[in-house]
Amino acid sequence: MEIEELKRLWAESNRKLEASTRLNTALLRQSNLRTADTSLKRLSRGIAFELVVNVAGIVLLGAFIASHLHQPRFVVPAVALDLYGIALVIAAVRQLAELGAMDYDEPVVAIARRLEQLRLERVRTTFWTLLLAPLMWLPLLIVGMQALFGVDCYAAGLPWLAANVIFGLAVIVAAIFISKRYGPRLGASTPMRAVADAFAGRSLKAALESLDSIRRFEEG
Amino acid sequence: MTTNGLHAEFVDRLERHRGILLKVAGAYCHRLADREDLVQEMIVALWRAYGGFGGRAAFSTWMYRIAVNVAISFRRREARRPHETGTASDAILQLTAPEPETDESLAALRALIGELDPLNRALMLLYLDDCPQAEIAEILGISATNVATKIGRIKERLKREAAGRSYR
Repeated sequence: MEIEELKRLWAESNRKLEASTRLNTALLRQSNLRTADTSLKRLSRGIAFELVVNVAGIVLLGAFIASHLHQPRFVVPAVALDLYGIALVIAAVRQLAELGAMDYDEPVVAIARRLEQLRLERVRTTFWTLLLAPLMWLPLLIVGMQALFGVDCYAAGLPWLAANVIFGLAVIVAAIFISKRYGPRLGASTPMRAVADAFAGRSLKAALESLDSIRRFEEG
Repeated sequence: MTTNGLHAEFVDRLERHRGILLKVAGAYCHRLADREDLVQEMIVALWRAYGGFGGRAAFSTWMYRIAVNVAISFRRREARRPHETGTASDAILQLTAPEPETDESLAALRALIGELDPLNRALMLLYLDDCPQAEIAEILGISATNVATKIGRIKERLKREAAGRSYR
């Protein structure tokens, strides 16, 4: 079959489809399209929520540091947590700025690249958040127990603290192993699969491959 | 122009070019409910950008660019979301489930489109829609020479596909 014939069939098939649909103009006139929910809006809301939670955490940690300024054993873990929170805030602000700058009136390749870069940023943030979270467990425990109950975890002794650090490291190793081994068996759209893909580096690989394919498309 | 006047003009233009929304949604989403959601998102994005549409390009060119951009973005985000079943009554553009393709060539063509990456899929759609190369270049944001090269490859691929089918 000639290509022109294929194009004619394609046009005919689309005309049939168009004839079988109708635009709900009444609903379109009533609806407030400016405030309508979209997938980008949902993503922005999620990132904004993360931002608010992290900023609240930083403020609380700031108050804790100020009240324990002369007790380095509490200040050091609190500062570690604070730096972790600040890094997450910076990542969230960058992502929100990228989302805010998204203009669908730009050429398709430019938007595809922006979306992939945003995805890369999200993947990297998720990866580092997951990787560092088990290590942040001990500082969180020390600061949390002291702030909430006035309990000094250092009193439990060095072996107990060392056991917690080793446990954190073991969790990281186990999570990477399980994600690599069993991640692909999870349903493609489940949140657990997203976590497993981030841990195993599959999401990062996919995002980098997509960026590369956009570059190749642009180059011809 | 007042907002009401602008909105009425927008709805009128949308009605006349709604085929673009159908084609793009059909190329990027398989499930009917997803297509309806995608069309809704396209309409929202089109209306939000409509104030800035100064007639620099043809309305269809502008509409294609925004529709494809929304489709690429929607597809990526929705892939991770669990499927939600919408109700037909609340869809702005009510779609009907596509009938099974009776023409073997068309079915193969749709399957071929489904295999392409998002950017090549957009190029294929525009090519099949008889868009001039300069317009395709403008929508995609690549050079006209690059478009010509890629169209050459599409033609070759279509020929190979057609030849492959005639031998089966």
